[in-house]
Amino acid sequence: MADLPSDLVVAGVAPAADEAAAAKVEGRWRSSLGVIVPAVMVAFIFGVCFIWPLIGPVPSPTGGTILDSNLPAFSPGHFLGTDAVGNDEWSRLLYGGRSSLEIALAVQAIGIVVGGLIGAIAGYMGGWRDSTIMRLLDVLIAFPGLVLAVAIAQGLGPSKLNTIWALCFFSVPATARIARAATLRVREQTFMVAARLSGTSFPRMLVGHIAPNILPQLLTYALLGMGIIMILEGALSFVGLGVPPPAPSWGNMIAQGQSTLSAQPRFVFLPSAALFITVVSFNLLGEGLRSRWSGQ
Amino acid sequence: MSDAIRFRRLAAVAACLFLIAAVVSACGGSKSSSSATSSAAGSSSTSSASSTTASGTPKPGGSLTVLELGGYAGAWPTGLDPATNVNGAADQDQMNSIFGQLFQIAEGGKVVPDLAASATPSAGGKTWTITLQPNLKFSDGTTLDGAAVVSNWKRDFASPCTCKPTGLPPIKSITAPTATTVQIAFAGPDGAFQNQLLVANLNWIASPTAIKQMGEQAFKIKPVGAGPFTVDSDTLSNTLVLKKNPSYWQSGRPYLDTLTFKAVADDEAALETLKAGNAQAYDGMATPSLVSQYKASFTTTEQPATSPYDIQLNTAIPPFNNMNARLAIYYATDAALIDQKLFGNQFQVVQGFTAPGGLFYYPNVPGYPTYDLNKAKSLVKQIPGGLTVNFFTLGSPVNQNFMEALQQLWKQAGINTSIHLYSLAGLIQQFVSKKWQAALQTAGAWDPAAGVGLGFRFLSASPFSGVHDPKLDAMILGGQAAVDPTARDKIYQQAAQYIAKNADGPFLFPLASWNVAVHGVQGPGLTTVIPSVVVNTPPQWQSVSFTQ
Amino acid sequence: MSSSTAPLSAPLAARAGWWSRLAGSPTLRFIVRRLLLAIPVLFGVTFLSFVVMNSLPGDAAQELLGAQATPSEIHQLRAQLGLDKPFLTRYWDWLHGVITGHLGHSLSSGQSVGSILVSDLPVTFELVAFAFLFSLALAVPVALACARKPNGVADRLSMMFSMAGLSVAPYVLALVLVYVFAVKLNVLPAIGWVPPGQGLWQNIRHLILPAVSIGLGLLCFYTRLLRADLLEQMQGEDYVVTARAKGVRPWRVLTHHALRNSLFGLITVVALNLGTLLGFTVVIEDIFGIPGIGHELLQAIDNRDVPVIEGIVFVFAVIVVLANLAADVLYSILDPRIRYGRPTE
Repeated sequence: MADLPSDLVVAGVAPAADEAAAAKVEGRWRSSLGVIVPAVMVAFIFGVCFIWPLIGPVPSPTGGTILDSNLPAFSPGHFLGTDAVGNDEWSRLLYGGRSSLEIALAVQAIGIVVGGLIGAIAGYMGGWRDSTIMRLLDVLIAFPGLVLAVAIAQGLGPSKLNTIWALCFFSVPATARIARAATLRVREQTFMVAARLSGTSFPRMLVGHIAPNILPQLLTYALLGMGIIMILEGALSFVGLGVPPPAPSWGNMIAQGQSTLSAQPRFVFLPSAALFITVVSFNLLGEGLRSRWSGQ
Repeated sequence: MSDAIRFRRLAAVAACLFLIAAVVSACGGSKSSSSATSSAAGSSSTSSASSTTASGTPKPGGSLTVLELGGYAGAWPTGLDPATNVNGAADQDQMNSIFGQLFQIAEGGKVVPDLAASATPSAGGKTWTITLQPNLKFSDGTTLDGAAVVSNWKRDFASPCTCKPTGLPPIKSITAPTATTVQIAFAGPDGAFQNQLLVANLNWIASPTAIKQMGEQAFKIKPVGAGPFTVDSDTLSNTLVLKKNPSYWQSGRPYLDTLTFKAVADDEAALETLKAGNAQAYDGMATPSLVSQYKASFTTTEQPATSPYDIQLNTAIPPFNNMNARLAIYYATDAALIDQKLFGNQFQVVQGFTAPGGLFYYPNVPGYPTYDLNKAKSLVKQIPGGLTVNFFTLGSPVNQNFMEALQQLWKQAGINTSIHLYSLAGLIQQFVSKKWQAALQTAGAWDPAAGVGLGFRFLSASPFSGVHDPKLDAMILGGQAAVDPTARDKIYQQAAQYIAKNADGPFLFPLASWNVAVHGVQGPGLTTVIPSVVVNTPPQWQSVSFTQ
Repeated sequence: MSSSTAPLSAPLAARAGWWSRLAGSPTLRFIVRRLLLAIPVLFGVTFLSFVVMNSLPGDAAQELLGAQATPSEIHQLRAQLGLDKPFLTRYWDWLHGVITGHLGHSLSSGQSVGSILVSDLPVTFELVAFAFLFSLALAVPVALACARKPNGVADRLSMMFSMAGLSVAPYVLALVLVYVFAVKLNVLPAIGWVPPGQGLWQNIRHLILPAVSIGLGLLCFYTRLLRADLLEQMQGEDYVVTARAKGVRPWRVLTHHALRNSLFGLITVVALNLGTLLGFTVVIEDIFGIPGIGHELLQAIDNRDVPVIEGIVFVFAVIVVLANLAADVLYSILDPRIRYGRPTE
C-alpha cells in the first residue's frame, strides 16, 4: 500500500486505512463521495457567509441603533435578536463567518506559497542551505506565538491584517516542514533525477516538477489546518488580538460573549456552533481528499 | 453504499443535527437558574432572591473566600508593600485587611476612625494633626506610634512609584510631636486632607521593624501591619491567604478565622465560581447585564458610584479647540437613552463631576447644554469640513458597548467617529502624545480633591487633562484648599458651571458596582451600602462574618 | 535510494538490536550535532523576543511609575533598572547572565526570575501532564477497540465522536465543562489551584476540568492516529502475517506488538505539537485562574517585565528544541533508512 509521508500523519488526521483495505471496484466512487459531501458543506457555508448577505435581506452587522438593543430571538426583523448596541445577531454571525474564513484562507494561502517555497528549496537543495533554513524554522517554531500575538496587539494594534500576520507565524513553518518532507520524497524519483541530469534550471524544476507533485499534499494539509487556524483566531481574541470590535468574527464574538455567558448564552453558542460545523466540514473534506489522493 | 461512506455521512449529519438542536435551545434566551440554593459553608440558605441587606447575629469563626477581578483588584504584581504596590488603589481589600487603615469610610459616607482617632486641621488648613489610638501594636509585636507613621509617610513620598501620594500641596515637614500624634505641615492650605488620606497609601502603615528585618523584597510578599489579618501565604496576583490577627486592637474582631482572596477572570467567571460554591463573596461586580443573575442567587448590594463617566475633549488642538465642535458633542450625547438601553436605567445621569454617592453632589448644573439633536446637527454643519473624531478609552466589554452607542448617537448629528479601545499602557501613550482628540473616562471621586478626581482630568498641569484654563485651575485648587465644607461646596458648584459654560466636556452617569455575598454572610460595605472612595467599595473585613 | 520518511511504526525485526545501533556512531553524532545547532536557535529565539519587547510602546519604568510620573522620575528609574543602556548591551548582559546561571530579577516584583520559574513551571507541567495522561489513557483502549473490529459499532462511534471532539475549540469546551460540572452539578471547582502539598485530592480535583479542556482534543487526535497505525500494521506488516500463521491470536498481536510500535511513533507526534499545545494552555490557565507559566507570561507582557519574559521564552525554547530533537532521534531509530542533511549531488 502507499507509503504515506509521516509528516502528514503528524499534521492532522490519521489515514483512513479502511479505504485501502476495502474493495477496489467501489474505491473511486466511494472516495469521491467522501470528498463531495464535505465539499458541499463547505460550499454551503461559504455561500451563506459570502453570497447570501449580498442578495438576501441581511442588515449590516455594525451600525445598529441602541433603540433596538438586546432584542430577544424571533423579534420582527431580527430572528436571532440583537446585541447590546442593537446590531442584528444573524448578520453578525454571517459577517463574522466571512471574517474568520477570510483570515483562515489568507493564512493558509500564504502558508502554502511562502512555506511551500521555503520547504521546497530546503528539501531540494539540501546541505547547508537546508540546515540553515531548518534552523531558522526551528527558531520560529520555538518562539512562543503568544508573545508575538500580544506584542502585535499592543504595539501595532489589533486588526484583521495583524491577526493574519500573527497566524502566518504558525502556518508558514509548519507548511514548510511538510513541503520539505514531500520534496525529499519526490527528489529521488526517476523523472526528477532525469530532469536534473539534463540540466533543468532550478526555477523550472520548482514550477514544472516539484510543485505539481507536492501541491496536493500541501493543499490537503492546508484544508486540514483551516480548522485549527480558525480556532486559534478565537484564542487570539481572548488575549487582545483578532478582529477588533465592532466588526464581528466568530472568534471575537466568542471572546466577547463569554463575559456575559449567563445573561445571554446564545451570543456564545451561536458562533461556537457555527465554528464547530465549519471546522468539522473542513476536517472531513481534508481527510476525504487525502485518502482519495493517497489511494492513487 | 459502503460502510465507510455511510458512517462518515452519518457523522456529519449527526453533528449538524446535534448542533441545530443546541442552537435552537440556546436561542431561547438567557437561562434562568433553577433551584438557586447556595452552597456556602455553614449557612442555611433562603430561596428568596434578595438584594436587600442581610442581617443576623455575627457568628465568630469560619473561612471566607473572596473573589477579585483579575487585572484589577485581583492583581498585585509588585507586591503588597504600601510604598511600592502600583495597584494599591485597586487592591484596597487586601491592603485594608493586612494593614488596617488610619481612617475608613462607613455607611452614609461618614469618615470614621480606625487606627487613627482624629484628624484636626489648624493654621488655616496648612497643618494637620493626626491622633492615633493608644497602645497600638503591629502583628509582629512592635509599637505603632507616631514615629512609625512618620517613617512610613516619608518612605511613601520618597518611593518612585505610581502609588506615591499626589494632589497634595508641597510638604514642609512630617513630625511626631508625641508618641500618638503625627503632624504634617504643608506650604499651602489643604482642606481635604483627611478625605485624601482615604485614597492614598498614607492610610496603610507598615511595620518599619519588619521591613528592616525581612528586607524590602521579602516584605512586599509577606507584609506585616496592624490590621485584622496577617499574611499566611501569597501567590502574587493569584491567591492571598490571610489568618486572623490575634493581637488586633479591636477586641472581638475580626470575626473570620481565615480570609482568602482569589483572582478570577471576569464577572461571568465570578458568578460561576460563586454558584459552584468555591467562594462566598465578590467585590466590585460591574457588568450590569449580569445583575439579575447575581440577584437570583446571592445577596447583591449596589454600591453607589462616585465617579461619573465623562467625555474628555482636547481643547488644545483641532477639532475641539473650536467651541462649536465641543457644543455639538454635548448636544449630540443622549446620556439618558444610553442609560436606559445599555444599563436598564440603573444609573443617575449627572451634569457635573460629582455623583449621588459622593460629596458635594448637585443634580442640576445651571447652563449645562443638554441633549438637543437639532442644535447638534446645525452646529456640525457650521464646522468647515464637518466633524470627524478619534475617540478612545480603556478596553473592557462595558466600554466597548458604551463607545459603540456614542458612535451611533453622534452619527445621527453628522459626526463621524472612529473608536479605539486600548490597554492601560496604550491609553497612557495616547495622552502622552498630546495628539488625542476625545476620550471616554471617569472623572471626579467621592471627594473631588482625592485621588483620580477632578484635577486629574481638568487641571492644566495634568498630562491627562484636555483643558488648560488658569481660572478653572484656581477653582479646582481652591475647592481643595478651603477647610470649611460649605465653602468647598460653593467653589465646586462654580467649577461645574464654568466647565458647562465653556463646554469643556459632557458628563454622563456614574457606573455603580455591586458587592456580592452568598446567603449567610454579611458585613459593612459587603451587604450594606457604603460609598466607594475610588472605584469599588472595600468592605470592612474586620466586621464581615457568617451569620447564625 | 533514500526512501520517504518512515511510517509511524517500523517492523519489529528491524528494531531488534537498536541499542547497538544507537551506541554506534551515526545517531550519536547526529544528536551531538543537533545539540550544537540548537544553541544558535536558542540565541535566535531569545534575541527575537528581545526585539519584539523592545518595540512595544512604554517600558517597565513607565508601567511602575504610571501616569503621573515626571520625565525626570522616569529617567531616574530607568537608570536604576538598567533600562537606559543601549539595546544590544542589555541583551548581551542578559545573555551573559544566562551563561553564568543568573536569569535576572523581575522588574515588577523584584523576585528572581529563577524563583518565579521554579514556582510556575511545575504548575503548568502538572496541568499538561494531566492532559496527556487523560488523553493517552483513553486513546489507547479506544484505538485498540477500534482496530480489533474495523468498521464495527465501536469503531464507527469512536470515529464520529473523535471527529467532533477534534473540531471543538478548547476555550469553548472549558466554558461548557465549567457550566455543566461546576455550576449545575457542583461536583468540580470552577477555578483555582491547590498545591499538591495542601492536599493531593484537592490538587487533582482542581486540575480535572482544565486538563480535560486541553486533553479532549488531544484524545481525539491520538485515537485516530493510533487506530490508523494499528490497522496499517495489522493489515500490512509481514510480522503480523507470520504471527497469525503461527497461531498467535490477533488480539495478542495487537496489544503486544503493534501497540508498542505505534506508541513509539505516537510519542514523536506528541513532541512535535508542543508549540500549539502550550499556546492553548495559556488561555486555559487564564480561564481557570491557574498560576502557571502561561498566566505569568501574559502578566509579564502587560508589565513590560522583560527579564521574566526572556526567562520564560528561553525555557520554552529549550523544551521545544529538545522535544524536536527527541522526535527526530526516535524517527531515526524507527527507520534507519532516513538520511540526514546529505544531498545526493
